[in-house]
Amino acid sequence: MAADLFTRRNFLSRVGWLAAFGTFGGLTAASGRYLFPNVLYEPPAEFKIAPPEEYPEGVTFVSAKRIFVIRQQNLIRVVSGVCTHIGCTVRWSEERNRFECPCHGSFFDENGAVTAGPAGKPLPWYGVSVAADGRLIVDEHKIVPFRQALTV
Amino acid sequence: MAVNTTRNALFENRFWKSAFRGAPPVSKWLRDKIFGLGLINLSLFIILNVTGILLMFYYVPYTDKAYNVIKDFQFVVSFGAIFRNMHRWSAYAMIVLVFLHMSRVFYMAEYREPREFNWVIGWVLFLCTLVGALTGYLLPWDQKAYWGMTIMSNVMASVPVIGEKLKFVVLGGDEIGQSALTRAYDIHVKVMPLIMGLLIALHVIRGRTDDLLAGSQAHGEHKSAPAPEADNGSDTADCAWSDIIKRELAKFLIILIIIMGTSILFGAPLEEEANPSVTPVPAKAPWFFLGLQELLSWGAPFWGAIVVPNAVLLFALLVPYIERGKTGSGVWFHPSRRLQNILFTAFVTVAIGLIIVGALFRGPGWRFYWPWQPWPLH
Repeated sequence: MAADLFTRRNFLSRVGWLAAFGTFGGLTAASGRYLFPNVLYEPPAEFKIAPPEEYPEGVTFVSAKRIFVIRQQNLIRVVSGVCTHIGCTVRWSEERNRFECPCHGSFFDENGAVTAGPAGKPLPWYGVSVAADGRLIVDEHKIVPFRQALTV
Repeated sequence: MAVNTTRNALFENRFWKSAFRGAPPVSKWLRDKIFGLGLINLSLFIILNVTGILLMFYYVPYTDKAYNVIKDFQFVVSFGAIFRNMHRWSAYAMIVLVFLHMSRVFYMAEYREPREFNWVIGWVLFLCTLVGALTGYLLPWDQKAYWGMTIMSNVMASVPVIGEKLKFVVLGGDEIGQSALTRAYDIHVKVMPLIMGLLIALHVIRGRTDDLLAGSQAHGEHKSAPAPEADNGSDTADCAWSDIIKRELAKFLIILIIIMGTSILFGAPLEEEANPSVTPVPAKAPWFFLGLQELLSWGAPFWGAIVVPNAVLLFALLVPYIERGKTGSGVWFHPSRRLQNILFTAFVTVAIGLIIVGALFRGPGWRFYWPWQPWPLH
């Protein structure tokens, strides 16, 4: 028999290699997908805090959620307390009227805009609304533009 | 009484002989170590594994329990403090010594053909050492663990295209919580030791093979004693395996004693329990990543923490394949390698300098402070 014929042995060999690579490739792909969780056991991104009356004039830090609730008369806004550089929790300085990040010295004004430091983006404002029971609902997945505060 | 009765009883019986069936030849490589840094690293790796296994008998990777286990190590578990300290100090020592070992190999140009692949294995081992240290750093679940991981995961997120996915899969979610701790624990306790164990074995075997293949060229140039005629490795005349083993065991014991002494005298650091609402002022990464954090403070994470370090790592990986020099192997600071040695020394100086700046010259807000300057209270 001529050596360059495509024999049954060649065919079966190819099928065998295909099966081997297919199996290992499939398992690898499955392992990769496996690593990305579908269900998260984390607190939800939309949550309720206290009713608006309980927040005084000025800036209040809600430590459990890493957010700042800022009230100006009857306007309420919620600013994220997570520095946009690499994620440290910022602090509000009453004397200097700005947010200060302790990690690399980024400063943000009372609207969250960057005034100094390596942060590139401003502190986002989260969507806030009033629930049926009168409490505020904060939605971290909804970023609202500046100058859009909630009127209560 | 016959001579050597104990020795014969130990080594001439069936059990010993069935286990050890005749020693392979002793090569020059085994006899003529320079500092034996590789051996020191192996000793530290063994200490890390043994103390690590001991720690695993008490440690649980649960966010509400982990910190208290560390406290138990410090005050409740017999010898818990010593084993925990030994684990931490061995880890830090290993990072330094792996780096020194790499430097030594570079300065003596021992990555030249046919040893390029062994350099690559060593490079992977260096990265594994860092990953092991980083994942281990999170396990105590204290403030520095939590915020160090915050910095690292956000740096990962700044990788273009895949950054957010990378952070998501490393943390097992969007935040640093139970999933992140579980994954760090898995990688630290199983994945890294497994990979490193295999690679170390490969590294040692490969080193010995390269030496036997290359003959006496790489190691022989600086030795004053003449090399044996046909150095195919069978130098049984002046050095026996029992001598080698005794010497290596003695060295291991010295390392063990040094680590134990350090562990008895100095406690491994532990801050308060992790608190996501309060970022410490200043929040600093572990010392081996402080240089990276210093680079980070100069601007966007992408450049300082992704581009520069990865470029450096890639260059380090390709050193044996890029370098065009052909002379100077096996000799310290050979004049023909002046340029390479100067470049390497400059790089090492900058890397260490960055760490020193991050450690001693940075205070609250990452502002510049002289080391003796007091930080403001807040």
